[in-house]
Amino acid sequence: MITEEFEPTTDTVEEEASVEACTKCTACNTVCPVARSTDIFRGPKALGPDMERFRSPQEAAVTPGLDLCSGCKLCEVTCPSQVSIQEYIRRAQNQGAREKGRSLRDWVLGRTRLLGKLGSMTAPLANFGNGNPLFRVLMERFVGIHRRRPLPKYQWLTFERWFKRHPQPAKSRRKVAYFYGCWVNYNDRRLGERAVAALERNGIEVVVPRQQCCGIPAVVNSNMDLARRYGLQNVRHLTPIVEEMDIVASSTSCGLMLKHDYSHLLEIAGSEHVGARVYDIMEYLWMLHEAGELNLEFETVPMRLLYHAPCHLKSHGIGYPAMRLLRLIPGVHLEEVDEGCCGISGTFGVKVEKYDLSMKIGSRLFEAVKAAGSDQVLADCETCRMQVEHGAGATSAHPIEILARAYGHG
Amino acid sequence: MKTDVAVIGTGLAALAAARTVQQSGRQVVLVWPGLSSLYFLSATVDVLGYPTATAAEPIAHPAEAVARLIAQEPTHPYARAGMNAVEASIALMLEWFKEAGLAWEGAIDRNFLLPTATGMPKPCCLAPASMTAGDLSRPQPLVFCGFTGYQDFAPEFAAANLTRQWGAADVSAVRVTAPGYGAERLFTSIDLARSFEDAAFRDAVAGQLRERVTGDGVRVGVPGVLGLTMPNETFAAFQRAVGHPVFEIPTVPPSVIALRLFDRLRKHLQEAGIEIIWAAPAHAADVTDQRCRSILLKAAGHELPVEAAAYVLALEDWVDGAFRAGVHTVRDPFFHQAIAWNKVPTDRTAESLFASQPFEEVGYALTDRLQPADVNGKPLARNVFCAGGAMAGYDPSGTKSRGGMAIATGYRAAQEALAA
Repeated sequence: MITEEFEPTTDTVEEEASVEACTKCTACNTVCPVARSTDIFRGPKALGPDMERFRSPQEAAVTPGLDLCSGCKLCEVTCPSQVSIQEYIRRAQNQGAREKGRSLRDWVLGRTRLLGKLGSMTAPLANFGNGNPLFRVLMERFVGIHRRRPLPKYQWLTFERWFKRHPQPAKSRRKVAYFYGCWVNYNDRRLGERAVAALERNGIEVVVPRQQCCGIPAVVNSNMDLARRYGLQNVRHLTPIVEEMDIVASSTSCGLMLKHDYSHLLEIAGSEHVGARVYDIMEYLWMLHEAGELNLEFETVPMRLLYHAPCHLKSHGIGYPAMRLLRLIPGVHLEEVDEGCCGISGTFGVKVEKYDLSMKIGSRLFEAVKAAGSDQVLADCETCRMQVEHGAGATSAHPIEILARAYGHG
Repeated sequence: MKTDVAVIGTGLAALAAARTVQQSGRQVVLVWPGLSSLYFLSATVDVLGYPTATAAEPIAHPAEAVARLIAQEPTHPYARAGMNAVEASIALMLEWFKEAGLAWEGAIDRNFLLPTATGMPKPCCLAPASMTAGDLSRPQPLVFCGFTGYQDFAPEFAAANLTRQWGAADVSAVRVTAPGYGAERLFTSIDLARSFEDAAFRDAVAGQLRERVTGDGVRVGVPGVLGLTMPNETFAAFQRAVGHPVFEIPTVPPSVIALRLFDRLRKHLQEAGIEIIWAAPAHAADVTDQRCRSILLKAAGHELPVEAAAYVLALEDWVDGAFRAGVHTVRDPFFHQAIAWNKVPTDRTAESLFASQPFEEVGYALTDRLQPADVNGKPLARNVFCAGGAMAGYDPSGTKSRGGMAIATGYRAAQEALAA
């Protein structure tokens, strides 16, 4: 029995969940898409909070199977005790890479912006190479990128340069800064154009501040030092911006980095001031709608659409604003395809040793997409869209593109 | 974000409340701080198994017993919900299970008596059809079947204990091998459940059972691992291949049977257009003039206010972190008040691990309309209603009323929210 004399003077209630908050309920293992698809992965409970008790910064990180965690964070979404399960795994992965070194492949994949710069400068050549079977065999052999994984096409005209020539609207009610991310800049400028158009149709002047890669490719390739460097640069660029306006992001994972991971995972001082003014673009427009300020002059968009909610969107804790918004558009028939993780997890499914696993994780989603036979699959995350196109042979779009279309753009 | 009613929680109380609001045609949003114990623990809806936590004789007719309990204990959660809510919520769930394609059986006027994984007879009111062939009021012999290397169900232990506890004469145990699994591999019921959806695996297991189990009318009890995503088909195919009536026994967490229930109901709500806000714990209520204007969710980076006409707090107490205990106080995440329970830590636990634990009863003091109340019995907010584990005096474990209390209070709280 606890002794009666026990009478501490302060009343402490822990606010942040620590590893000790894990009750071993196993809810995380049941939702883990990797554990569902392979029997060699021991699951988030063992690799996160369980092993964390045996880790120290002075000792080598020797947990086998750590690299199989794809970083979807569904374990954290599920945890009843709000334990940062995936962050423990992330730190251990990073510690392991620090000790053992990184492969050339992971070094490259962590530098999306560098890849983007090179890719867009040499766009026709890079795209030819990425689509050439012989080149892909060599790339698989020497770099470790799976030969069957379609790689994103690079575009010569970047979003940054397009935007410089983009005429500013004559008058606006407010300003918002756009964090476009590497994908829009180097691979999908059209998405950025449509995001700008949708915002401008609402009387918003779009500002494009100086920005660096958000850092998530570096984080997932076990290079948190590099991610922190990128994060510091972004926080420096964006701190004066948030004094004047909100920031919107059209990439789910970029947004999550800015909102949450800069402060929690990378512990970047001052980042929470930036994060507090970052919104997912669909989240932002929905807020506008609830304030009665969304432009509702939509054209009919007669489309059957399927919505796939990216795992990282669940971590935003904002629900599915894209579904709410698109259901305002006449003609849109929108359903959710609720089959969990698509499997690609950024650069995870690109790697030669992870490709098959990534396709297996996504197989339920692919089947459901094929069975639904819709016109287009919508997802806020660019790599989810890549994976659904590849696995289900579907065409895909970001939800903002449908909104832009309802505004008569594109 | 704005809605008519916001339901906070992920357990049966929250699901029943959301369904009740949905059926009324009003808009509802579910706010999920993380999954509740329903997700990995429960498997049946137990209305009332024993009249008291220490009673030995199980209840056969729960409806009458609940009515008696309500008459005797006016502050019991069942009394707060009222008999009408108890009956209506059972009807609501049965209809919902049917509509969602969950094959369940039971009625409020009788209890099943089903064997647990430890060989205890457990009274429960509603159960999946895949469990009810194990009812101990039936005379046919029972064979418990385990899998070599599977640590979460020991058929020999269950059989021996059931013989001792229940005096059942004809109970025996077998172990069969599950192809691909063995002592060298660490696996859980989830892994087995996925394998059981594969016809070749299923038939290999069923083949061994057909050989080992003989005799007329023998019922075969297996751990609850018969399929995860398409349980009805998996169960039917397995039972056919075994050639005997089969019943599932819920396992220790993670309980596949609970997972199926939860996932199906969740998806069904989403299919009906109900939005779920994941991963955003509520951490404050904005209350002015005794009305809750919004609750604030801890979303990534910033607070997300959810504005509703009324709120149902259908949280558990400890499992989902609704309450945080300090040394001298217990605080709630909404009103940040020390709630109706301020005992010293030494009084929070009973000495025996198996006794009813006082901390289970910690919760909001309530008004007659299930509003969380202050020390004077006045509502903290007129449009907030409480259901499930966060109610004071809510302890379903000893009396086997997990599930029943949740849906009855969830239903009642939702009705109050609709009227608010």
